[in-house]
Amino acid sequence: MVNPMTETTPVVEMRNIKKSFAAVQALKGVDLVLHHGEVLGLVGDNAAGKSTLMKVLSGAYIPDEGEILIEGENVHLTDPLHARRLGIEMVYQDLALANNLDITANVFLGREAISVQLGPLRVMDSRRMELESQRLLERLKIDIPSVRQLVERLSGGQRQAVAIARATAFDSRVIIMDEPTAALSVAAISKVLDLVRELKAQGASIIIISHRLEDIYSVSDRLMVMRQGRKVRDAPITDSIDDFRERVVAYMIGARDDFAGATAS
Amino acid sequence: MSFMDALKAQRHNVRDFGMYIAFVVIVVFFTIATDGLFLTSRNIGNLVNATSYIAVLAVGMTLVIVIRHIDLSVGYFAGTLGAVAAISLKYWGLPVVPTWLIVLALGIVGGLLTGFLVAQMRIPAFVATLAGWLFYQGLLQWVTRGTGTIVIDNEVFNALGNGFIPDIPGLTFLPEVHKVTLLLGLLAIVVFVISEVTNRRKTQSYNFEVLPMNMFILKLAFISFVIAGVTWIFAGYQGLSWAAVILIFVVLIYSYITSKTVVGRHIYAVGGNPESAQLNGISVKKITFLVFGSMGLLTAVSGILYSSWLRSATTIAGRGMELDAIAAAFVGGAAVAGGVGKVTGSILGALVMASLTNGMNLMGADISVQYMVRAFVLAGAVIFDVATRKSTS
Repeated sequence: MVNPMTETTPVVEMRNIKKSFAAVQALKGVDLVLHHGEVLGLVGDNAAGKSTLMKVLSGAYIPDEGEILIEGENVHLTDPLHARRLGIEMVYQDLALANNLDITANVFLGREAISVQLGPLRVMDSRRMELESQRLLERLKIDIPSVRQLVERLSGGQRQAVAIARATAFDSRVIIMDEPTAALSVAAISKVLDLVRELKAQGASIIIISHRLEDIYSVSDRLMVMRQGRKVRDAPITDSIDDFRERVVAYMIGARDDFAGATAS
Repeated sequence: MSFMDALKAQRHNVRDFGMYIAFVVIVVFFTIATDGLFLTSRNIGNLVNATSYIAVLAVGMTLVIVIRHIDLSVGYFAGTLGAVAAISLKYWGLPVVPTWLIVLALGIVGGLLTGFLVAQMRIPAFVATLAGWLFYQGLLQWVTRGTGTIVIDNEVFNALGNGFIPDIPGLTFLPEVHKVTLLLGLLAIVVFVISEVTNRRKTQSYNFEVLPMNMFILKLAFISFVIAGVTWIFAGYQGLSWAAVILIFVVLIYSYITSKTVVGRHIYAVGGNPESAQLNGISVKKITFLVFGSMGLLTAVSGILYSSWLRSATTIAGRGMELDAIAAAFVGGAAVAGGVGKVTGSILGALVMASLTNGMNLMGADISVQYMVRAFVLAGAVIFDVATRKSTS
């Protein structure tokens, strides 16, 4: 496990992020740090601002104030594609897969490998893409017989695995997972969590949003709790699961707050 | 993998197979019902010429349907473009090639205009192209109002819809058969077999699964046999028609683009999940423009084929052609929900619908019956489609 204290430059640092939608202040000056090789669990009740914060990081929303540093460098994210080019990959809750295409096509969507260029036409290198997706699935120990399977024929867990695999396929620095275990069977959930652990073992830096506290507990190194657009807790996970759950809920409902009075909004 | 396992593994292709089987059944039925008249070289030649302008439209329509839109304007637009060709040849005195180029360019412009309404102005394609349907109907009447039907007497232009590719003069063997057509058929088989074999080798070199050898040979033999049979039928009359040549070109080019190129992949991605496509850096707007632009280009090709086939431009040219093209696409396996539909499927769909008309005409069936039979086939094909999708997912 990486000790955050010994690391100098975090992979992501968000400072004093503010974002409003009309009269609603969704983010009231939030700080977030993600270290290399770390899994950060992000929890909070509905409308706590966690999804908004992640949309800021993935380029979908542009913050009103605050700065974002990637590997110590200040960046101004303009759109999801820009964030992606900087190595920030988001696995969306609704998966964002094209059901009518096969696994390979989904993994490489928008980043197809080219064999030759015929004037304006770029001809795909299908075999290379198939081979690489197969290797990707093997590396992540995802058990799907063929990368030629149409995504519409996959189970919920398999689809989630493909979506996560896609996020890791192109030298990503940060993988953000928004509710990766929602709407999955128990068996599928444990497979997805195994996949998160596998990614972490291979050195990925991950932010995971979930309503399922036991999932966060089982894979995360550190936990950040948000409430009403603010960070109220940011600490390594050390408790037993029962203490953990009780404590997190206390933060989520506002009974406890480590940063009370620390932020000016 | 045994032969039967290989067959079972192909079960998800039952939709494609089903359509080919249905087509064969239709052909066999009409051949028997008409005492062989249906399958004569002359009839098949006419059938293909009379289908080509619908089939070309169906190719463009398939892609429009794949990206979840529809185009109701293309029938009258094709008619209008045919009229432009006739006017260009007859009244502007332009030669054939500039006429073709003008018509093709106008087709692209018209297609992009539809694309603009749909992609930029966000007007639902049904409404935008319904407006186009009205507009082009009016435009066609307007440009032909002084002249009525314009007769085209340019032989080169008319050859496209009626003419045949030339034969080698002076050869005496097989006097009744078109030799160049036979050679082209042979060439097609050779190219097909070589490309399949190299493809299989390459795939194997990557250690990917390929069809078992016996299945592979069966597939090669079957498709070669079909090409040979079709070639023989064509060669038996006056050879391959220019319309057929153009149709084959359109199919080859569009099949290649849709299955092998990045832009083809992106078209299907936009059809399958536009939000996902956009998130992955694919511009849905650009793809929409492109697909409607291509629809316009093919509409121009269709308009040229139709007016040259009729040797004239009439005031109602193109009426209902858009619906025939849409029917062909759906019979050929396109799905209303988008993302699904192949170019080759739509061609087959067009051939199925045209064979029904042609065969029933030969049998002397009443036009009222013909419409109803075609209705059943269209509905049946879609029911089959829905059923096979459910059972294999």
